[in-house]
Amino acid sequence: MDKPGGTKTLETLPQIGISEILGLVELLISKGGREDIYKLASELQMEFGETLAVIRAAELLGVVHTPGGDVEVTEVGNRVSEAGISDRKSIIHDQLMTVPLFKTLVQYLNENEDHEALRDEVLEKLAELIPNENAEQTFLMLVNWGRYAELFGYNDDSETFYLDLEQN
Amino acid sequence: MTSGQILFELENLTHRFRLPQGDVTVLQDVSFKAREGEFIAIVGPSGAGKSTILRIINGLLRPSEGHVLYKGKPLTSTNLEAAMVFQSFALLPWLTVAENIELGLEPRGLDVAMQRKRAAMYIAKVGLEGYEEAYPRELSGGMKQRVGLARALAVEPEILLMDEPFSSLDALTSINLRDELLDIWADRDFPVNTVVMVTHLIEEAIELADRVLVLSSKPGQIAGDLTIDLPRPRRKRDKAFSEYVDKIFSLIA
Repeated sequence: MDKPGGTKTLETLPQIGISEILGLVELLISKGGREDIYKLASELQMEFGETLAVIRAAELLGVVHTPGGDVEVTEVGNRVSEAGISDRKSIIHDQLMTVPLFKTLVQYLNENEDHEALRDEVLEKLAELIPNENAEQTFLMLVNWGRYAELFGYNDDSETFYLDLEQN
Repeated sequence: MTSGQILFELENLTHRFRLPQGDVTVLQDVSFKAREGEFIAIVGPSGAGKSTILRIINGLLRPSEGHVLYKGKPLTSTNLEAAMVFQSFALLPWLTVAENIELGLEPRGLDVAMQRKRAAMYIAKVGLEGYEEAYPRELSGGMKQRVGLARALAVEPEILLMDEPFSSLDALTSINLRDELLDIWADRDFPVNTVVMVTHLIEEAIELADRVLVLSSKPGQIAGDLTIDLPRPRRKRDKAFSEYVDKIFSLIA
């Protein structure tokens, strides 16, 4: 969504691990690609809110969409499922690059010398970008997804967040 | 994938634990043979001695009666040809992902450069590239178990033992890991092709294994030995799948 004045609304991703999203895609495919959201939550014995968070995260990544009260695997989701373990990571890499928050962080790191920043600097940047969200949680999510997609790296000893330039 | 040579053989295993209130027999007269290339699941209720069987195959525990033949020879100490994946992941919190995986290679006599190389290869295989310098505390359960799996695989064991490997994970994460495990196992270049997995979930056993050994409980005895003759990927809602579920359930109950 564009706000007047051209600034983008940045949305953080829910605190959901990539494994859960990949599991969701597999589960849906085993059901023919589409399922009612309520049914899915009750089958998984997950809280409805939690199920929605997984679905929301999967949707932001573009692997599912949610027509009506259903959740359905997209073409990208099907490709993720069919890909081998390492190709899967590069598809997710490309998908993350379409998520505004990730794009903004890539830009931010590219402006910095050595394409890196200290954790505290990133937290400050996040507080500025998305003031209503918990910056530490958002940071954790960025690190986890970024590591999986080999987009970002993080060294907890030196507290350095960096752009993963070791392209595969 | 089940035409290989016999890899190990359990002969009339009985195992008792000594407890203050008296001896408890956990396994009674358990015998079976495993062939190279088989994916065997041992399924049964808790108290059926499933994990005890794995520890005996691994040589960590000597049975009270009976013996284990590994490639025709009696197993008398820790089985260095086997590697284990644990329910609780069993990672060292002060080591990074890469260091945890390399650690398993030290006792196998590989030099540091070889350890690094081997670990990197299996890190890639399980999809952990990018996580090398992460500590276990920074990882989700799914990623921790990928580390556990990579550590076991990096040893390139002849047999992979898995003790309830998906039980500590949430439902969706375990779907993802089962799927990736099958991908890894189906890879022909992959050096590890014999798997013994313990689970209390009947559906998990049928989804993954070529052969399911059903244990009854107290004491654990083999109540059934089924070949799962279904193409992969296996779908729970297929009729043939649910027939296997019913059959195993009736054997346990």
